Amino acid sequence: MALIFIRTTVIFITLLFIMRLMGKSQIGEMQPFEFVITLVIAELACIPMADTSIPLLYGIIAIIAIFVLHQIVWLLDLWFKPMKTVICGTPSIVINRNGIVERELRKNNLDVSDLIESMRTAGYFALDDVYYGLYEANGSFSALENPDKSTSSLSLTLIESGTVDTKNLKKAGIERETLDGFLKEQNAKPKQVVVLTVNSEGRVYFQKKGEKYKILKLEVNGQW
Amino acid sequence: MVKSVIYTLTAIVLCLVLFICVELYVDKQFEDFSAAVDTLYKKVEDETANREDGYAVKEMWLDKKSKLHVFVPHNDISYVDYWLNETCGLIYIGDYEGALCKLEVLKEIADALPGSYAVRLENIF
Repeated sequence: MALIFIRTTVIFITLLFIMRLMGKSQIGEMQPFEFVITLVIAELACIPMADTSIPLLYGIIAIIAIFVLHQIVWLLDLWFKPMKTVICGTPSIVINRNGIVERELRKNNLDVSDLIESMRTAGYFALDDVYYGLYEANGSFSALENPDKSTSSLSLTLIESGTVDTKNLKKAGIERETLDGFLKEQNAKPKQVVVLTVNSEGRVYFQKKGEKYKILKLEVNGQW
Repeated sequence: MVKSVIYTLTAIVLCLVLFICVELYVDKQFEDFSAAVDTLYKKVEDETANREDGYAVKEMWLDKKSKLHVFVPHNDISYVDYWLNETCGLIYIGDYEGALCKLEVLKEIADALPGSYAVRLENIF
């Protein structure tokens, strides 16, 4: 019996550790330890229920172990602030006044397209629509809105983390030479670009690695 | 909050008590069974064991296993059933050498099974 309790604890701690390593992309609006509980509780209940060779008490003990661990984690969360950081993590600021913070995105196993997707879900269709954007410890996205946000059309991503999206380039009616010329003007190579988006009015959000973002203009066909 | 702490502590204490009781109970059951198997082993060695001796051990086991099912995986219990039935059969036909081999296995199972549920590093991983 005690063995089941200890084995459940070992699995719980391992899963929690792995979930924390996986970052916020895997959580989906739950605290990491809640997510771990959701993952294991169904199996714990089902296996002894379906497999008659396992005493039902084994499942009950494992579920009680999960309850005890949940309570302990919750109490640690309340009483010791440093433990909260270890168990649940901290919010990650992924957009600040200078633009996208790539390091924070990488730390959470996210990329620029994940960020753009989260922003769209939150109702922001341009990267400069927010002053600050952050992923909470539970993986949800929060933002401090830019009061001057002027988005009236959808932005297409032309370069993301140094990779040119040729499909979007074609959709925007921009020749590769035009883009290269634009980058030359900004004294940048595609590899040095964190993100370059353009909306149908030709408004460009351009951010070079290690620099503040710029809002620029580019000729587009505007047919999207 | 106080309620939660009380619930948690109660659950931990109850679990600890249960673990200790179960461990002691399972150990005792297998100890008794092992002693009975030992006695039968000596009788088989002396070739004095008869059908009743085998059935006495079997009945003792049947009584214990109905309770052990709550705490021990049923597959482990069925191993004991299997070997014990074979032993009884061999004693019945007078094949004492064969019965000794089966009893060796039974002794080993009775000694090793409680250890496989004990809190030990090798059992955790």
